Amino acid sequence: MVGLSEGEKHFIRGGIAQDIRTDGRKRLQFRALSVETGVIPQANGSARVRLGATEIIASVKAELGKPSILHPDKGKVSIFVDCSPTAEPTFEGRGSEELSTELAVALQRCLLGGKSGAGAAIDLSSLIVVDGKVCWDLYIDGLVVSSDGNLLDALAAAIKVALSDTGIPKVNVSLSAANDEEPEVDVSDEEFLQFDTSSVPVIITLTKVGRHYIVDATSEEESQMSSAVSVSVNRHGQICGLTKRGGAGLDPSVIFDMISVAKHVSQQFIGVLDSEIAAAEAEADE
Amino acid sequence: MRDLNLSLNQTQRVRLEAALHELQSLVPAAASAAAVTVADTIPVNQEDNILKYISLSQENTIQEDTISLFVCADELVWCRGHGTSDQDGEVVATLCGVVERVNKLVYVRTLRARYKPEVGDIIVGRVIEIAPKRWRLEINFSQDAVLMLSSMNLPDGIQRRRTAVDELNMRSIFVENDVICVSTILALSVEVDNCFIFCFSDFKSVFAYVVVLTHADTLRVINHQAEVRGFQHDGSLHLQARSEKYGKLERGQLLMVPPYLVKRKKQHFHNLAQYDVDLILGCNGFIWVGEHVLVGENVKTTEDRQKYSNEAENFTPLETRKHICRLANAIRVLSALGFTLTVELIIETAEASVSSNVEVNDMLGAEFYVQTAEREAKRRAALLRKKKGGR
Repeated sequence: MVGLSEGEKHFIRGGIAQDIRTDGRKRLQFRALSVETGVIPQANGSARVRLGATEIIASVKAELGKPSILHPDKGKVSIFVDCSPTAEPTFEGRGSEELSTELAVALQRCLLGGKSGAGAAIDLSSLIVVDGKVCWDLYIDGLVVSSDGNLLDALAAAIKVALSDTGIPKVNVSLSAANDEEPEVDVSDEEFLQFDTSSVPVIITLTKVGRHYIVDATSEEESQMSSAVSVSVNRHGQICGLTKRGGAGLDPSVIFDMISVAKHVSQQFIGVLDSEIAAAEAEADE
Repeated sequence: MRDLNLSLNQTQRVRLEAALHELQSLVPAAASAAAVTVADTIPVNQEDNILKYISLSQENTIQEDTISLFVCADELVWCRGHGTSDQDGEVVATLCGVVERVNKLVYVRTLRARYKPEVGDIIVGRVIEIAPKRWRLEINFSQDAVLMLSSMNLPDGIQRRRTAVDELNMRSIFVENDVICVSTILALSVEVDNCFIFCFSDFKSVFAYVVVLTHADTLRVINHQAEVRGFQHDGSLHLQARSEKYGKLERGQLLMVPPYLVKRKKQHFHNLAQYDVDLILGCNGFIWVGEHVLVGENVKTTEDRQKYSNEAENFTPLETRKHICRLANAIRVLSALGFTLTVELIIETAEASVSSNVEVNDMLGAEFYVQTAEREAKRRAALLRKKKGGR
């Protein structure tokens, strides 16, 4: 990432203070969002999401597996993030490892809930095929193709779109008499079950610059941040997760303020995302 | 168009396609013939070549060679330059771009490429390193450019004395990451292709090359190769900032567009007094849009830095900032659509957004893109009609 001169930094801070940012946005406005679905034919569901110059590809792959002994009634979901060196030269080799892990952990926290699988945004019990025997393993991969700030929000949006594009093949289980035998499963090639994504949250990151906070910061604006709070909010306006980055401390009242703003912004963002998904699906059907 | 990822609705898509189609139909035949993609044959008309050649030779008053050339016209071979290749006696493009001809030399100038400096260009760059007696600048060239301390004049126009103290104080002039405006003085880019060295950037060396060719035979050309290289040095680019109008740029934003969108003009500094905005169209595709600064005000850089500490009072005024953002967004729209950036067009686009009540942020929305493309198509059609009427 290119550095900024003192003058430019000052200009950016001034813009945020005066509620008109360098590209003319207000503090709580998102950049233009564009969505494509079904970009990876091999995956069960995939999506490309662009948020300004940030570009993310997310894919969902489903495989049959065995549920863990501790939770025989739940499927498994894992989330990985990879930052491509095309996004930034520093991502070359192992350069992106730290960022990728940080993003993946934040996403897991927001989407998957606790260790027990309780409170997960993705309904894990819907992934079960035969209790304790067979379940679906979902592998969710996010790839950062181009990075211009606000990666976490874009990743969460891309995953949400990819999940809504996901069709899980219908499975016919032939009942076997013996209980301890492996059940025979027959995976259908034609029938797919649509995945329920209504409870999947979006993530809204509020970046604090100076005395104000902004949504959807570009990488230039992110370089000026003191701290950032990522709030994941679902369709019903409930908070599903909360993470804070950046060294500077925040007053508790500011955090409450941020949460209520994030809740308000998220409802608009979900609306935009829904209409974009509908448009993308209509286009894919054509 | 590659960068254009808009979510257009059905009518917008039809309108944009219609506008782009019209724009394409307005392009003069000669210009569209000059555009090539990879594996296109480049027509090399032998007769044309001779005629052009004679006229040039006459200018240079090298009569003998003209005659000898005229006689052995059949043997004339085109010099294949950068981006071309020989396939069964035909010249074939190996790059995507525009065919350029300099006398006998044919080369392809690529559009989406890095900036190729020419002498006297006004450019905007970013300091990336401070080295002994010089700053290194990122200017979207294949190498970093060099601005020598001695190429900077003192504020009152006096030449700098080369003292050690001066060198130690270089950071008081520019520090890393500063955006500055400079002009090129020595732009020497060397292209090696098929044993010939072509230098497109420097007028003198193009001339040297022509002279080499006038004594046309391959052997001699190879002989002269060393001579051409003689004044090439290492192909690095030197810059200067001798006048007060050059220098550090502050209080504004830097935009980066493909360099081919900025054409070389007499004027690259523009003070848009009606907006209180400075607009600098750097030939390297770096564009500065910032608050207007009076010439000579730049001197107080060190004081400025202290001023940032109590910054809230000296933010850019809101009105000016709106204008800056509007102009910047106009540039973003135009460059995404691939229109050549001129001050007139930028102002026109910004004004159009004001008159049609488009908010600054909405300028980057699909509707304004379509409107801009339509407006440009209309403007070019009117221009063409006027030209035809004039004839």
